[in-house]
Amino acid sequence: MSTVLEVSNLRKSFGGIAAVDGVSFEVVEGEILGIIGPNGSGKSTLFNCVLGQLRPNDGDVRIDGRRTTGMRPCDLNRLGVSRTFQLLQVFPQLTVRDNLILAGQEHQGSMLSRLIGPADAGLGEAADRMIAFFRLSHRADELAGALSYGQQKLLDVAMAFMAGPRLVLLDEPAGGVNLTLLSHLRERLQAYHVERKATFVVIEHQMEFVMALCTRVLVLAEGRIIAEGAPQEIRRDPKVIEAYLGH
Amino acid sequence: MNRVGAAAAVSIAIFAVAAPFFLKPFGIFMISMWAVLAIAAMGLNLTLGYAGQVSLAQGAFVGIGAYAVALLTQAGYPFVLAFAAAGGLCFAVGWILGYPALRVQHHYLAFVTLAFTTLVFLVLRNEEWLTNGIYGINGIARPAFFGWSTRPAPNFYFFSLGTLAVLSIATWWMLRSPWGRAFVALRENPIRALSLGLDTRRYTLMAFAIGSGLGGLAGGLYAPLVQFIEPSSFALGMSFNLLLMVIVGGSGYFFGPFVGALIAVLLPEWMRIAQGYYLIVYAALVIVMMAFCPSGILGLIDRVSKVVLRSRPTAAALGPRGSAQGSVHEHGP
Amino acid sequence: MASFIQLLVSGLATGAIYALIAVGFTLLWQTSQTINFAQGEFVMLPAFFILAAMNAGAPFWFAALIGIALAVVILGLLFKLVIVDPMLQHGVLPLVISTIALSLLLKESAKDFYSSQAQPFPTLVPATDIHFFGAVISTQSLAVLAVAVATIVTLHLLLDRTRLGRAMQATAQNPTLALILGIPVRRMVLYAFLINAVLAAIASILISPIYLAKFTNGETLGMAAFVAAIIGGFNQVRGAILGGVILGVLDNLSAAYLSSQYRGAFPLLILIAIILMRPQGLLGRVEERTV
Repeated sequence: MSTVLEVSNLRKSFGGIAAVDGVSFEVVEGEILGIIGPNGSGKSTLFNCVLGQLRPNDGDVRIDGRRTTGMRPCDLNRLGVSRTFQLLQVFPQLTVRDNLILAGQEHQGSMLSRLIGPADAGLGEAADRMIAFFRLSHRADELAGALSYGQQKLLDVAMAFMAGPRLVLLDEPAGGVNLTLLSHLRERLQAYHVERKATFVVIEHQMEFVMALCTRVLVLAEGRIIAEGAPQEIRRDPKVIEAYLGH
Repeated sequence: MNRVGAAAAVSIAIFAVAAPFFLKPFGIFMISMWAVLAIAAMGLNLTLGYAGQVSLAQGAFVGIGAYAVALLTQAGYPFVLAFAAAGGLCFAVGWILGYPALRVQHHYLAFVTLAFTTLVFLVLRNEEWLTNGIYGINGIARPAFFGWSTRPAPNFYFFSLGTLAVLSIATWWMLRSPWGRAFVALRENPIRALSLGLDTRRYTLMAFAIGSGLGGLAGGLYAPLVQFIEPSSFALGMSFNLLLMVIVGGSGYFFGPFVGALIAVLLPEWMRIAQGYYLIVYAALVIVMMAFCPSGILGLIDRVSKVVLRSRPTAAALGPRGSAQGSVHEHGP
Repeated sequence: MASFIQLLVSGLATGAIYALIAVGFTLLWQTSQTINFAQGEFVMLPAFFILAAMNAGAPFWFAALIGIALAVVILGLLFKLVIVDPMLQHGVLPLVISTIALSLLLKESAKDFYSSQAQPFPTLVPATDIHFFGAVISTQSLAVLAVAVATIVTLHLLLDRTRLGRAMQATAQNPTLALILGIPVRRMVLYAFLINAVLAAIASILISPIYLAKFTNGETLGMAAFVAAIIGGFNQVRGAILGGVILGVLDNLSAAYLSSQYRGAFPLLILIAIILMRPQGLLGRVEERTV
């Protein structure tokens, strides 16, 4: 079981305030790692440092053993790393199908071949399959902006999966989604995980979602890891309870 | 192509083909100018409307293209070769200029292109051995193809129109391809686009280089149209003019530059009453337009038609740029 | 050596003027994300206000005050209320386009409503020469330097030592946080616009005797402001000052020792060099990518 993601001693400060203060952990292939913690504990900052959106002040990030600290997000994506965003980020002016084709097209051939080749970059069928997988087929040709919030969230996740990534980082995927769609989302994530043997790292606030989905959980507070283990253990850990209640 | 686009295309096509039969020579000259400027504006639309970058050098690229064609044809090279060279040269220069400028943020390209326009003007003016300096180049010949001369005004018009059509189709093809999708992603949400593996820098640079290349091709037609060129035609004034054309027509809309170029060519005529204050009026109109409908005339028509035809209101009703940008404080995209 | 000192002094004088223009430009950017492409025209225009006032009979010093006042109202207050505020909701790009259109509008207005000919402009002090170690230095250069330096020092004291100034700085660095702290952010932004107008007017008074009042002045002055701001580091007021001075000195030296035909190209070369070698400018911080 190889290590897909390795974070060593990551540090990120904003003007004297350490948002991430020496965080180290590893993610093994096939895991679903949950990262939880009260607001302001540094979860999103951690993600952004791993994904190249921010440059850390100190520490290292390695993907499959290869040093990727500070790499641009698009280069990381080509290495097989995908993400979803906390704030919805689909392209409202494109259709659902076009959103998915866009999500995968940069992995098809070279820039030049994409200019000369077919308009859908050969991804028409793959997009349709992804749409079916997420049960959005009835809305495939609509503009993404016309979908409900929950459906857009599903589309967001679908887009992250289009390029067949090895590692997917999900930033609060359950936020603002109603219960029905939530269980559908969780079930689809588990299905994808089994089918593709993908590795997930999930930031979440909703405990039930984390408990049901994740194989291992990290707890972050004030920029540091305060607990780590199976979901059930974490739930009972007094340090964790204090961190949440104390805020 | 949506309903607005289709209607616009048909109207433009009819107008364009029929026009020379109803116009005097000066009128034909004006619509030839429209066709030439539309090519340059179309290029700038790629840079501005699709990639979201302000370029103040499009006029300079027209100038480089014009001088390239003028000098090469007068040195004996066939027009087709000179024309291709004009486009290729401007594409290359655009790439070289954009490469450093687009690696940073804050609309640095705008400043770099502003400075570049000054530099080009100085070179055209000072290097008399090459460009004949302020005296300009006279007697630029109009090309002939297989015996068909473009010297008569209507012939040159149809030649320009044909070139415009070919270049428009090529641009249309590009925008229908995955590149077009990438451009939409680039201007709507560059952060998301990056996370999907889209190299935003590369696509922006490509848009700018192609846009500049189109400017060069426009210049290649400009020279035989006016048959006399001198440096001051290609200074900041033309760059501003082209920029305003794209904005007023509707930046990010495919036919925006066509509409904008038409207005820019006709406006001085309409404003004859205003005795040359037309630039002030034009600039004031642009400012007003930016406040109320930043997506230009086509954007306005788009919005109105969506309301009138009661189609589904979507984010598209806000125009290609919507209101998604502009809230980031310190750090640009 | 003597000529070098002359060039240095006059370069510092021009540089100080560039610094004023660049500082105003940077202030606007910092507080309200406004990239003012009309900044050069903002410096070109007050000279014409002053000349018009003098034509109406006012003595120079009074006309200058009128010019500054008009600049504050038109280029400060009206600019903010009529152009910037309505535009900001649409994003940065429409605002950039508007300021480009505005620069065109102001330039053509000066040409059409006043004159297309270069107009002589009165100097601050009578033009005499001082001899200093064999170098001939004009009192004009020294006066320009004195006024510019005094203005910058006053601005610095205002920004650093007064409560108002610190509130403005807080607004520039983090408007959300400033709002939470109870700082009237909108008023701070307004002050930035007014200060910019004053700086532009002062720069106008200082530079017009040298360049003559011409409607095309905006192009060169605007370019100088942009390049100076970029050299110094786009988001630093101190950087703008440094950038302005460096640009002024280098520009003057290059004009003397290199071809004068390509004088106007010099800012471009510096700009390209800075972007290639140190894009964050001399004093700027390396930009973070956004979240």
